[in-house]
Amino acid sequence: MDTTIDVKSFAPNGKQNGYNGKAKMINRKIKYESELSSDFKETIAELAHGEKLYGCIQCGTCSATCPVSHYMDYTPRKIIQMVREGFRDDVLKSSTVWLCASCYSCTVECPKGIKITDVMYALKREAISAGYFPKRFPTPVLAENFFAQVLNNGRNSEGPLLMKMYMKTNPFNALKNTMLAFRLWKTGRLTLKTEHTKDRKSLKKLLGSIDKQKEALAK
Amino acid sequence: MSNTNGNGTIKGITPRIGFYICHCGHNIAAMVDVEKVQKFVASLPGVVVSRDYKYMCSDPGQELVQKDIKELKLNRIVVASCSPLLHEHTFRRAVEKAGLNPFFFHMVNIRENVSWVTDNREQATAKANALARAAIQRVFFHKSLETKKVPINPDVLIVGGGIAGIHAALTIANAGKHVYLVEREPTIGGHMAMFDKTFPTLDCAACILTPKMSSVKNHPNITLWTYSEVEKVEGFVGNYKVNIKRKPRYVIEELCVGCMDCIDACIYKEAKYPDEFNQGLSKRKPIYIPFPQATPQVVLFDPETCIDFKSHRCKKTCIEACDRKAIDLKQVPEYKEINVGTVILATGFKTYDAEKSPQYGYKKFPNVFTSLEIERIVNASGPTNGEVLTKEGNIPKSVGIIHCVGSRDEKAHKWCSRVCCMYSLKLAHLIKEHTGAEVYNFYIDMRTPGKGYEEFYDKLMNEGVHFVRGRVAEVTDWALIPEEEHKLTIRVEDTLIGVVRRIPVDMVVLAVGMEPREDAQDIRRMFNISCSTEGFFLERHPKLAPVSTFTDGIFIAGGCQGPRDIPDSVAQAGAAAAEALSLISAGSIELEPNTASIIESFCSGCKSCIPLCPYSAISFNEGTKKAVINEALCKGCGTCVAACPSGSIIQNLFEDEQIFSEIDGLLKFAGIELEEMEVVNA
Repeated sequence: MDTTIDVKSFAPNGKQNGYNGKAKMINRKIKYESELSSDFKETIAELAHGEKLYGCIQCGTCSATCPVSHYMDYTPRKIIQMVREGFRDDVLKSSTVWLCASCYSCTVECPKGIKITDVMYALKREAISAGYFPKRFPTPVLAENFFAQVLNNGRNSEGPLLMKMYMKTNPFNALKNTMLAFRLWKTGRLTLKTEHTKDRKSLKKLLGSIDKQKEALAK
Repeated sequence: MSNTNGNGTIKGITPRIGFYICHCGHNIAAMVDVEKVQKFVASLPGVVVSRDYKYMCSDPGQELVQKDIKELKLNRIVVASCSPLLHEHTFRRAVEKAGLNPFFFHMVNIRENVSWVTDNREQATAKANALARAAIQRVFFHKSLETKKVPINPDVLIVGGGIAGIHAALTIANAGKHVYLVEREPTIGGHMAMFDKTFPTLDCAACILTPKMSSVKNHPNITLWTYSEVEKVEGFVGNYKVNIKRKPRYVIEELCVGCMDCIDACIYKEAKYPDEFNQGLSKRKPIYIPFPQATPQVVLFDPETCIDFKSHRCKKTCIEACDRKAIDLKQVPEYKEINVGTVILATGFKTYDAEKSPQYGYKKFPNVFTSLEIERIVNASGPTNGEVLTKEGNIPKSVGIIHCVGSRDEKAHKWCSRVCCMYSLKLAHLIKEHTGAEVYNFYIDMRTPGKGYEEFYDKLMNEGVHFVRGRVAEVTDWALIPEEEHKLTIRVEDTLIGVVRRIPVDMVVLAVGMEPREDAQDIRRMFNISCSTEGFFLERHPKLAPVSTFTDGIFIAGGCQGPRDIPDSVAQAGAAAAEALSLISAGSIELEPNTASIIESFCSGCKSCIPLCPYSAISFNEGTKKAVINEALCKGCGTCVAACPSGSIIQNLFEDEQIFSEIDGLLKFAGIELEEMEVVNA
């Protein structure tokens, strides 16, 4: 529903006076209620273990205390309001959730006890399942592979995990860190093998029972 | 001036003046060179001692004056400090304690009149000098005066029978004093009777109000006059004479029991006139009772709509139906005259007329309602029996509540109406509870100061009510996308997110603000009190005398003084009642001895003064053919003094020689001597 107008068409005789040859865009920014999803806040509240985010008073303490908020496209305060008002797509496409370093400052400072870091995790999970993240962005790739490894093997093996991450994001970065990897391997800090627990069947059963419990709770 | 002879003696007494200038911390000293003024005054004739001190009103400051009076045998005192309204009484008492008549004291205001109103230190000091010299010259002629006491009539008049008036009436009546409660409408209860629930506890307004209403009706110490208006007020603190008009209901109040048989019998089978109590959302007959719990439970006629009043050709089935013969269509207004000592004004407020903000489409779109209308709609005894429905009869799926309609707007009212945030939260809760609709609150700032109020806001947020921060630009039925068709679309910037949003809703509620009643100015004049710029009644002091007015014995409570909610109105009503009771308990009040009196040998008996006196204090002695002033009634306004063509009326504290010497002292700074004026005066 977005309309984009190329400002070039306003320039007389096709010349781009004052625009240095670069076209500037005017974007429609109005939000229709029908573009929003009203159940988004419930999804996130459920994932983040708490409905406290409904009680946000928009004081901005989270944004002010966040060490990386100045790099984010929406500050944490704005994210909470957007979640509450159902701006699903804008939130999931934002860089904010991926820049969150999980330092928990916001959660500690929040006057309404909102677990903002948990909200960020919930949003990351939603973004991943919706496929809303830059394809070669390391954070979601690492997260996805980390969980896949732990769930399958019961163990985390740094070497294969890193290799997978580099291959999926930027393989050249792997070359940059070869020396560091070598030194870590030499001191026994890095394994190149995929490790796993002895009894993978029991692990599957264990994790499966959690899922069952969740399903039962959901009912 | 020649009133003082060469050695400064007047009528055999040598004035020994003490002058004191106060720093008032930095309030005065920062702008006025107090030392310079002190030195200047010390050089004036008659001044024995001149001092400056940090805080004259403090105990050491007062003791300084008292010590000087005793040691230096001072007989005149001048203090240059703040307004006499604040500390004249303090210093008079201090002077009296030192054995000097308190009226030998005079006060100069160099704070409100000098230091606070300029940023020019030099001019401020010069003005302070001039004012000080004027006071020194004036105080020469001060005389010893005695204050007089007037008794306080223990009866109290309360104007307005809303929650504030009701609470004040009950408090005073329970203290054993008699109250006249006068209400303009046919029933007491005011705005609160129209509300459904009260925030933040959500207890039912009627359940907590109606017991108080019936206590008022049944209290032996309360005379309740509904459907009545105050016509005239005369007198002064402790002794007011009030005329009240009781409008005809065409029903004898003492006989009617409120059975409403007459209403059923009315030849109009269907109610067809808008019901004022339900904000015009339902209909009533020409004979009606405002609402089921109306107090008194008495029906009344609306002569504007009753056929018999219009054409005299009605079958009068109502009269036949009344077996108590309570209907009297020939009833005329009844006039009452009462004497009271104190008055409490609790005349309430009015809600903003939403039609004045056309962008919100009130009266243009049928589904735009004011908050008072919604209060009636959600009320079980309201026009829809408590069902929240759109004008088409559907349950709304989404409702927008627009805050600050008529408030915080230079084009309407500048002030915040204080209650709208909270009542909007309450309405949001009630609408959500009744309909399950999505409710949007559009606010500029959420203002929830009060016990349990912020918690109520938190509760509403957790109920999933939307809070969009931004002032709504318009409510429109112009659909831009299919989803907006047949709906009202609210256009607003969500300032927290930073986007402009269009939100389609089925129903819009306008949270209208509070404004003074249309006739607040008439009431103000009638009771001789003041209004602040916005038109609400002005309190004597915003912090320290919040229910007093500048007229002694007249108190204010509730929405007539400014926007406030029920708890604050009740608290104020209690305060006003306490103030009235404290006057009654004292039994009498001391009056300023600034009364006028007639010099009989000069009076020519022209009677010019008699009609001019606003307090009817002057009468004419037919025997001596001279005017006589009743000092108990004289309020010292000075009208007669100025008007007397033979100069035969003098006023204590404002005698000619006092005023002219004061003016002379002021003009000396401009190098003008008062010789010419003296000629005129002689």
